[in-house]
Amino acid sequence: MSDLNKLYKQQVLEHNKNPKNYGQPAHWTHHAEGLNAICGDQVHVYLTIQDNTIEAAHFAGDSCAISMASASMMTELITGQSTFDALHLFASFKQMMSPEGLPDAEHILGPVACLVSVKKFPSRIKSALLCWYALNAALNGQATATTE
Amino acid sequence: MLREAFPCLHQQVNGKPLVYFDNAATAMRPQVVIDAVTDYYCHHNANIHRGVHCLSGRATDLYEQARASLARLINAPSPDNLIFVRGCTEGVNLVAQTFVRERLQPGDEILISHLEHHSNIVPWQIVCQQTGAKLKVIPMNDQGELVLDNFDTLMTERTKFMSVVHVSNALGTINPVKELVQKAHAKNIPVMIDGAQATPHLKVDVQDIGCDFYTVSGHKMYGPTGSGVLYGKAEHLDAMPPYHGGGEMISKVTFEESIYNKVPAKFEAGTPNIAGGIGLGAAAEFIMDVGINTITEREDVLKKYTEQALQGIDGLRILGQAQHKSPVFSFLIDGIHPHDIGTIIDHHGVAIRTGHHCTMPIFQFFDVPGSCRASLAFYNTEQEVDILVESLNQAKAMFA
Repeated sequence: MSDLNKLYKQQVLEHNKNPKNYGQPAHWTHHAEGLNAICGDQVHVYLTIQDNTIEAAHFAGDSCAISMASASMMTELITGQSTFDALHLFASFKQMMSPEGLPDAEHILGPVACLVSVKKFPSRIKSALLCWYALNAALNGQATATTE
Repeated sequence: MLREAFPCLHQQVNGKPLVYFDNAATAMRPQVVIDAVTDYYCHHNANIHRGVHCLSGRATDLYEQARASLARLINAPSPDNLIFVRGCTEGVNLVAQTFVRERLQPGDEILISHLEHHSNIVPWQIVCQQTGAKLKVIPMNDQGELVLDNFDTLMTERTKFMSVVHVSNALGTINPVKELVQKAHAKNIPVMIDGAQATPHLKVDVQDIGCDFYTVSGHKMYGPTGSGVLYGKAEHLDAMPPYHGGGEMISKVTFEESIYNKVPAKFEAGTPNIAGGIGLGAAAEFIMDVGINTITEREDVLKKYTEQALQGIDGLRILGQAQHKSPVFSFLIDGIHPHDIGTIIDHHGVAIRTGHHCTMPIFQFFDVPGSCRASLAFYNTEQEVDILVESLNQAKAMFA
């Protein structure tokens, strides 16, 4: 499989076409906007947190397939997690996308680990990271985030 | 063949022959430009305008010959009408701060157009913040053309300056700059034209256009990055205060006062980008040797071919279809984000730009975050356009 086909693997294309947890929900407790102004990616992350648990996670916005798929998979992964675990997942995802990488990524990040193939396309790493930085911002009470 | 003159075009990218369609971001340089820069560093390396030694004299001559070449390219009355700058951005900022700022009172107006690059918006916003003046905008239509029906009413007695782009970097629209200048001058409004995307593609005659200022970007016209010139009418340049203080721009300095040098040295403080200026002069000579009309005619053929080819792709929409435009195509494909298209076709060796192209207001007009932009130059070929189309079809197939 070519690097390009690994980047746009079926999983990514499917999440892009039919994203999970997509759209602004009626209610939420935490929100942040991830915006990469230069490339035009925008991801709003909406969280409903009760007793330190993420009861629901949604996202909305207009962005590339990598960013859409990453956000879709992220919301699936963090739903039901504690805020502490979500922050830990953020750190793990960041590490996976960094040069040092994350050993045992699949064990920690589950299906999200498939996005490691984005690393072959350095200019697109920021697209995959954007929703995670927005998540981190929302959890820390910040309104905006960027990965540019 | 002229294409052979551009060494960087001849390479493989991701295992495929490079198709370079990002000329509006920066053009390729012909060997003569690269040689001029190398020649300066290898044989004439010295500072200019200040040494009695042989090399300094040669370097000064080369630099001033370059200024003269650029004056011929845009038909300036004299080389002294040209100030070397880092590019159009610096040219606009220079005019904003040294010509326009002191003319503004709170409530005065500066007129720009909806087609401007950020570099012809932000410097005016800064000067507006400094003075309390307001920015007004000539609107555009769905074709990406300026709407001039109410142009006369846009210019009021408070309008103190107008700055308009000659050729849009995002859509390719060629604006009727001569007509705009005539109308503005009828109301005593001085005009600056941002020519970044014009000199690589069109005959530019600043005296015919009649503008007060005109900016030229070096790297868009096959010259070195960080080079450019600002043309200004002599009476303006003589009256304007310096932009930067330092060496070279003075004729005498004491601790009490400094007496400024004459134009253009007054605006050229510090050691300039000497190699860049010399390379830019070589680029101007290259354009004149090839013939700007030859370039425009070849690009017209390529433009029509590309337009037809892109229109043959289902679900592809071209943004901006002005009657007069240069070979720049901003487009969207249903269901595929521009960045994904950019990544996929890069895999096929095709280099385009994706995003907002430093013209966010244009994309706010079209209500999209950005576009794909294929911007061609005379050294591109029909076969390369075919490769673009094929790679776009591959992207569509992948996302089907």
